[in-house]
Amino acid sequence: MKRFFLILVVLILLIPSDVHAQGTDPWSEVFQPDGSLNPDLIDLGVTNDHPDWMSINLPFGQSIDLDANYHRFQTPSGNIVVLPSASTLFFMAMNPQASGLTSSYGSLENGYGSLISFLGLAAGDNLDWNRIQAEHPEYTSPDQFWGAVLNGNQDVWTYFSGWGFITNLLQMTWNDGALRSLYLLYLNGTQNCASIPGGCSGIVTPPPPPRECPDPSVTMQQPVLTIQKTAPNNPLVVGQDTENRRGADIQARVTIPPVIFTWHEPIYEKRNICRAAGTGETPNCNTGSGSSINDGVSDTQMVFKECRTHVEHLPDAVASLQATATLDAASQDWITGQLGQSHYEAYIHQPNFALIPGLGSWTGGCDGGGTCTATGQALRVPFADPGTFNLRLDVVTTGTRFRGIPITQPRRVGIDGSLQVYVTLPALVP
Amino acid sequence: MKEIPVSKRNLIVAVILAVVLALGILVIQNWPLRAEQGSAPSTSEDSLVSAAAVSAIEKVFQVDYQEGKEAWLKRICEVSTPAGCQLLSAGADSMWKKYVDAKSVVTAAAQAVEKVADNGSEQVLRMIITLSSPLPGSNKTQDTAYVVLMRTDSGWKFDRFLMEPEINAILARQKITSTPAKEGKK
Repeated sequence: MKRFFLILVVLILLIPSDVHAQGTDPWSEVFQPDGSLNPDLIDLGVTNDHPDWMSINLPFGQSIDLDANYHRFQTPSGNIVVLPSASTLFFMAMNPQASGLTSSYGSLENGYGSLISFLGLAAGDNLDWNRIQAEHPEYTSPDQFWGAVLNGNQDVWTYFSGWGFITNLLQMTWNDGALRSLYLLYLNGTQNCASIPGGCSGIVTPPPPPRECPDPSVTMQQPVLTIQKTAPNNPLVVGQDTENRRGADIQARVTIPPVIFTWHEPIYEKRNICRAAGTGETPNCNTGSGSSINDGVSDTQMVFKECRTHVEHLPDAVASLQATATLDAASQDWITGQLGQSHYEAYIHQPNFALIPGLGSWTGGCDGGGTCTATGQALRVPFADPGTFNLRLDVVTTGTRFRGIPITQPRRVGIDGSLQVYVTLPALVP
Repeated sequence: MKEIPVSKRNLIVAVILAVVLALGILVIQNWPLRAEQGSAPSTSEDSLVSAAAVSAIEKVFQVDYQEGKEAWLKRICEVSTPAGCQLLSAGADSMWKKYVDAKSVVTAAAQAVEKVADNGSEQVLRMIITLSSPLPGSNKTQDTAYVVLMRTDSGWKFDRFLMEPEINAILARQKITSTPAKEGKK
C-alpha cells in the first residue's frame, strides 16, 4: 500500500508547477507552457555513478558501493536537467552538499517543496516526531524539520526510529527504474561538470553558434547491442560433447548509429558600397547622406546572405568492450543440491568467465556514414557446469568531435543475455 | 561465660535479613555489569534476534574466493530480508573483486554484544566480529558492527549494516544517556 502511495506522489510531483513554465526562467526551456517537456530537450539517457555519499561502510574497511542513478536531459542552451532515482534522491537529500543537490538551480524555491513531500512519504513514518518536538519545539510541522535537514541545519539521523525503510526504498527503485520524483536543473552545462550529478558523461558540447544562424543541434540514437551463443546449437558441458572439449562460441556485437550534428554556416557575400571617406582618401562616390557632392569612397563589404545547413554524421566509436559469463544462482543450487544428491561429488567447476578480453578479443571500426560497429568473439569457451549462464556485454564509446571540438561525451551502454549449457545424465530404466 | 538468650523468632528474622541482604548485594553487584555488557538476551525473542544476527554476520565475513560471489551471496541471502539481500548483491561487485584479487579465505566468529535499539519489528545490535585473518584493505582481525534485524513472516532476518551517520547518532545518544552512570561510579 505504501509503495502505491509513493508511486502516486511521484506521479503528482512530476507534474511541473506553473513556475517552471513562465518567463525567462531557465525552467522555461525545460517545460512548455502546457507543462509538458520541451521536445527540443536532448535525452542523454540514464547515467550511473558511484559517489562516496552512496557507499555504505562495513567493518574491516569493506564497503558496499551503491549506484547513483540519474535520467538526464540537456536543454538547447546547454543546461542539464537531472531526474534522480528514488533511492538516489533520498541519499542526495541526506547529503545535500556533497551530492550537489544544493547546487541545482532554484532548488530552494521550486524543488524543496516537492522534495519535502517525497521525504515525508519515503521516511516520515520512521521519524521519532515526539522526540523532535521535545528537543526542537521550534519545528511545528514535519515539513519544517525536513526543510532544516535539506538546508544542512539539522541532523536527521538522530531522529530515525526505524531502519528497514532504507532497504525497502532501494528495492523499490531497483524494481521500478521509472520511479523518479523530481526535476533538478543545473546551469552552464559542461562549464560546470563538477556540480552536475553524474558529471559530464554523454553531455553534448555544441560549439559557439554564429549569431545570424540557428543554434546547432544534436540527435543521438541508442546503440544496438547483442551478446549470444553462436555454436553449437545445444552446448554440452565440456567432456560430454562429441568433439573433444568443444565448449561454446560466444559472440558480442554492438552497432552505434552516427551522432547527427546539424549546424548552420553563415554565408556572406561581397557587396560594393560607398563608405564615408577617411582622412587622406579622395571621395569618389556619394554616401547618400544628403551631400550634393561625393563624400565617400567605393569599397566592398562582407554582408550576411543566408544560413547554409550542414548535417554531419559523426562516428562514436567503441573505446572498450567487455563481455562476461556467470552461472546463475539457480543453476548453482541445482548442481550442489539436486544433482549432488544423485551424482556424488557433483560440484561447480567454474561459475565465472571473462570472455572478452580474456578468452577472446574484439575488433571494431566505423564506416563512411559514421556508423560504428564492434564484434568480439570468444571461441570454444570451456563451460564445465550445466545450467544457465548470464552473459553481460559492457561498451564504452569514445564520444564525438567535430573539427577538434567535443560534441558528445563518451557513452556507457550494456546489455544482458543468457546461454544454456546442457549435461547428459545416465538413468536406470526398469 | 555469659550466655545471651536468643529467641527462635529473632533467629529466623535474623537469618531472613541476612539472606535478603546477601541477595541485595548480589543484585547490586551484577546489575550494572549486565547493563554495560548487554550480552545476555533479556527475552527469548532477543535470543532469536541475536542468533539471526550472529548467523548472518558470520556468513557475510566468511569468504572463500574460490566458491564465487554467487555462492557467497546465496548463503547470506538465506538469512537476510529480500531487500537486504538485494542491497548487498547490488553493491558487492567491487568488494568481491578485492577478495578474488587477494585470494581471500577467511572465517568469522560473531558475538551479539548489545541491543542498542528496538522498535518491535526492527532491532539494532552491536556485534563484535573476529576474523581468522584480515580481509583486503584492512589489518584488523576484530571489529565492531551495528546491524539491523527485521521481524519477517519467517522469523528474524538480517537487513543491513548501519551507515556511519546512523552509528554516530546512536553513539551520541548512548553517550548522553550513559553520562550519569559513569559519574556515579567515580
